[in-house]
Amino acid sequence: MGTLDRARSDLQALALTAETEIGRVAGAFEDLAGHTGAMLDLAAELVGCVESDSMGAVLNEVQSLGAAARLFIQERLQATAGILETVTGEVALLRHLAHLTQGQKSVARESNSLSVLTSIEVARLGSVGSGFQYLAHELAEFSRSVTEDARVLATEADDRRQQVEEARRALGREIPRMHAEFARIEAGLGAALAVADSSFAELSRIPVQFRQCVQEIAGQIAGVVAAIQAQDITRQQIEHVQEGLTLISASFEDSAPEAAAAHACAGLNIQIYQLRAIKQTVAGWASQIQTCMGGIMRISSSELVAIGPVVLGQERELSSQLARIERLEQECLSYNESVQHALGGLSSLMELVREHLDRSKAVRDRLQLLMFNSIVEASHLGGDADAILAISQSIKRVAEEWSGITDQSAQAMQQMMEMVESTGRVMHAFSDASNDGLRTAQEQTRAGLEDLRGNVETAGRQALKMNDATARLQSRIAQAGDVGQLFDGCLSRVDAVLGSLEGLHRESGADLPRTRGRIDAAEVERIFSSSYTTEMEREVLRAALRGGPLPSLQQQLGGNDVELF
Amino acid sequence: MKQILTVDDSGSVRQMVSFTLRKAGHEVSEAVDGKDGLTKAGGAKFDLIVTDLNMPNMDGIQMIAAIRKLPGYSFTPILMLTTESQAEKKDAGRKAGATGWIVKPFYSDQLIAVIQKLIK
Repeated sequence: MGTLDRARSDLQALALTAETEIGRVAGAFEDLAGHTGAMLDLAAELVGCVESDSMGAVLNEVQSLGAAARLFIQERLQATAGILETVTGEVALLRHLAHLTQGQKSVARESNSLSVLTSIEVARLGSVGSGFQYLAHELAEFSRSVTEDARVLATEADDRRQQVEEARRALGREIPRMHAEFARIEAGLGAALAVADSSFAELSRIPVQFRQCVQEIAGQIAGVVAAIQAQDITRQQIEHVQEGLTLISASFEDSAPEAAAAHACAGLNIQIYQLRAIKQTVAGWASQIQTCMGGIMRISSSELVAIGPVVLGQERELSSQLARIERLEQECLSYNESVQHALGGLSSLMELVREHLDRSKAVRDRLQLLMFNSIVEASHLGGDADAILAISQSIKRVAEEWSGITDQSAQAMQQMMEMVESTGRVMHAFSDASNDGLRTAQEQTRAGLEDLRGNVETAGRQALKMNDATARLQSRIAQAGDVGQLFDGCLSRVDAVLGSLEGLHRESGADLPRTRGRIDAAEVERIFSSSYTTEMEREVLRAALRGGPLPSLQQQLGGNDVELF
Repeated sequence: MKQILTVDDSGSVRQMVSFTLRKAGHEVSEAVDGKDGLTKAGGAKFDLIVTDLNMPNMDGIQMIAAIRKLPGYSFTPILMLTTESQAEKKDAGRKAGATGWIVKPFYSDQLIAVIQKLIK
């Protein structure tokens, strides 16, 4: 009787302590769950930054910029190669022009000689030959003007040749440099895009990971909620064991000694089973609470905190590529001026050649007219004008020679026109309009990167808040104390009561063979089941009467059987 | 947001019910036993009541029967949340005016789902 009273009293004290302690755990859990919820909200905002359109859009914009930069450089490379070809053609043309001016000078010298000869002949013929005075004057004038034209053209061509040679050398230097820069930008952009692509792919997985994390946390919170309620069930079970012990005490007072011993022994066995089940249940919900609390803690090491720095790194890399493209564009703009200056001279040379060609044609016509007039005049004079006739024949040869030079000048002119036309085409690549595509892509990328930077800054701020929230959560968990110690304390007190009841049962069991026949199982079930309110307790009672194993822990913690009326 | 009353003599169970329902966006009041629950139901209008069965002073079934007599509570959903699962107890609860029966321990999502269904 004393042992039973002590056990009853110990169990009562245990139930009270457990209620108080589990209340403290429940309070701490509620606080932790609140902090976890706040952390999840912060994490959701952080994930929102990653999921925003700016992340995906900026990648597309950078890819467009890469394509525009490639096109820009390729067009310039092609145009530069075209200009080099034009300049090389122009050098050949200038050499040809130099050759033509030599021919012109030669014609001029010959015309001058003819003029002198004509003047001599005019003097010899006297008044008869005065009609040829005009011829001598025309030849002298022709010689002077051709000499002057040839000198001007030769000077211009020479200047132009120097200019073109300079441009050719500059282009020769520029093309390999542009090739190298193109290769560097191509490689840099390719690498930056590959890194950005893989980072964005990694970032795109974070929302999925976050959702899994949220689900896991929600499951853990639900687990703690269920486990804390299990304590209430345990408390009721302990109360029912206390009631069982009271019944055993009463059976000693009311029944005949032999029947009392049999019922006491069977009742003790049932209470031992119930206490074992309680012990199993306490261990079960204690373990569940610890596991779930640990799960909540794990959110602090979430990858979400690292999102901000990763995205910032990407933005910096992409911005440096943008700056590099902008530098290249600036260099190209300054290069445009020198190319335009170099090629612009071709037009003025062409004008000069055109004027020269017009004059050459006029001279050719004039020479032919002089030749005919002199032949006609010489025919009228007969034998006295043989020398003049010979001069007329020479004028004819000079006119033919001049006509050949004029034709060649016309061909040169034609080549120049073609050259100017093709130069105009390649010059487009060096115009401001050719940069429009690149400039648009740059503006879009710049705007995209600014958006990205804004999101990253928000993400960075959220990450800092998450760090603070994590620190607060850890501090709260530390304040909540060691849940494990609390449950170990409960278990050891259940163990102590169980030990004393098992000892008492062993003592009464010594008389068991004598009392076994007097045990009425149905009566024992009737007596002890009246205080059991849960299906699990009734299962344990039946197991005790059968001498079978305890119901499984899962069965004991089962609940949530919902029925709507 | 709905006004919900939770009645249970276990503080930790009341805490867990309140925590779960507040997270679902409801306003929750607590009562420590049937007598307290009846008093609180008489002092305010609740959209739903969740009550334990075995409590000191007044048990859940007695409280439900009394609440059903209060003005405005004829059709208010009242859920029993208890460790008991015996058919005769459920029958007594139904006769007293309970709307449904949930065996402890409850799981948050299922409790919220049942409540949403009843207060819809």
